[in-house]
Amino acid sequence: MRRVEHVMGLPISVDLRNGDTAAVDRAFEWLRAADARFSPFRADSEVSRLDRAELAPTELSPDLAHVLDLCEHYRLATGGAFQVRLPGRRLDPCGIVKGWAVQRAAGLLAEGGSSRFVVNAGGDVVAAGGPWRVGVRHPLRADRFCVVLDVTEGAVATSARYERGDHIVDGRTGAPVTELLSLTVYAPSLTTADATATAAFAMGLDGIAWAASQDGCEVYAVDATERVYRTPGLPIAA
Amino acid sequence: MKRAVPILLLTVAGLIPLWRFEARPETVAVPEAAGAPEASAPPTAGSTTGSAAPGGNAQTVSGSLVRTGHGDVQVQVTFDGDRITAVKMLKQPGSAPTRQAVPVLVRETLTAQSADVDTVSGATTTSEAYVESLQAAIDAKD
Repeated sequence: MRRVEHVMGLPISVDLRNGDTAAVDRAFEWLRAADARFSPFRADSEVSRLDRAELAPTELSPDLAHVLDLCEHYRLATGGAFQVRLPGRRLDPCGIVKGWAVQRAAGLLAEGGSSRFVVNAGGDVVAAGGPWRVGVRHPLRADRFCVVLDVTEGAVATSARYERGDHIVDGRTGAPVTELLSLTVYAPSLTTADATATAAFAMGLDGIAWAASQDGCEVYAVDATERVYRTPGLPIAA
Repeated sequence: MKRAVPILLLTVAGLIPLWRFEARPETVAVPEAAGAPEASAPPTAGSTTGSAAPGGNAQTVSGSLVRTGHGDVQVQVTFDGDRITAVKMLKQPGSAPTRQAVPVLVRETLTAQSADVDTVSGATTTSEAYVESLQAAIDAKD
């Protein structure tokens, strides 16, 4: 079965080839709950309440504490390029929440007995029971791919400038990142793939090597001069 | 994930990703290694101090410090023209000796393919942009 719903402002597609279709309901229910709890754009979310200091650090849910730990891990690992607390802006952990929440939704599909599915959350992919052919959108041509990956099990996430312009800011300088056109990470989980792609993009060109050095991550990046850099282990489809 | 050990670096035709080279105050001449692998010249981002002088002069440059989950990594590379003739680890994590500390990147040309795919990875699509996306077309299939 296929289903598309719009959650977190994203189109989320589920293509389930076996298992319990009720698990798809549970997966979307979880995603809506995650949006309500962690969206910085909802005044009553846990994230917004924390940002307004209405919650003490000791009052955080274990999930949000976990998300903030991940944010801190990537802030330190990128030397501050990736930040969820940019000066003058609200607390915005979306770069971490999305991958983490969608990975957990995929876990609910697996718990429902599905061994073969693909979830696509606005361009971030979790796949199980492949082979699945995952096309990476060409950064300059919306109707073409720059590479096609052959994914049996795992996640693919892409950070790029073409959808929302120069919206990714290097936390070290406060300036938008313009050295890269797109950066794609293939990793065992979307939590890792999305966070690594987002954090690496914020680092600019240095982020390519940084992402390639992260455990379990394969990388495909296009710089502003349209040069491609990829890791040798990237599962490119024949 | 299993990766090649650092010593294999020089046998891999690929690019050792070192951006924004900073020339060391003193450059060390290293004899040209016979059969050195083909390696791409580094991208000249920001500074062009990484470009080697013409005439086959060796130039030794240090890459920027890269933080990994296993510690900081920094390499020093000697170029003869565009060819890498030596790689030295300036910093590498002490643990996990079998893990490759320096990521190897392959440099390629950007191509635009059209292919049959099951799903599309790309920059975060908004719900508005989704309508016109390839993924929307895939979702509309049975």
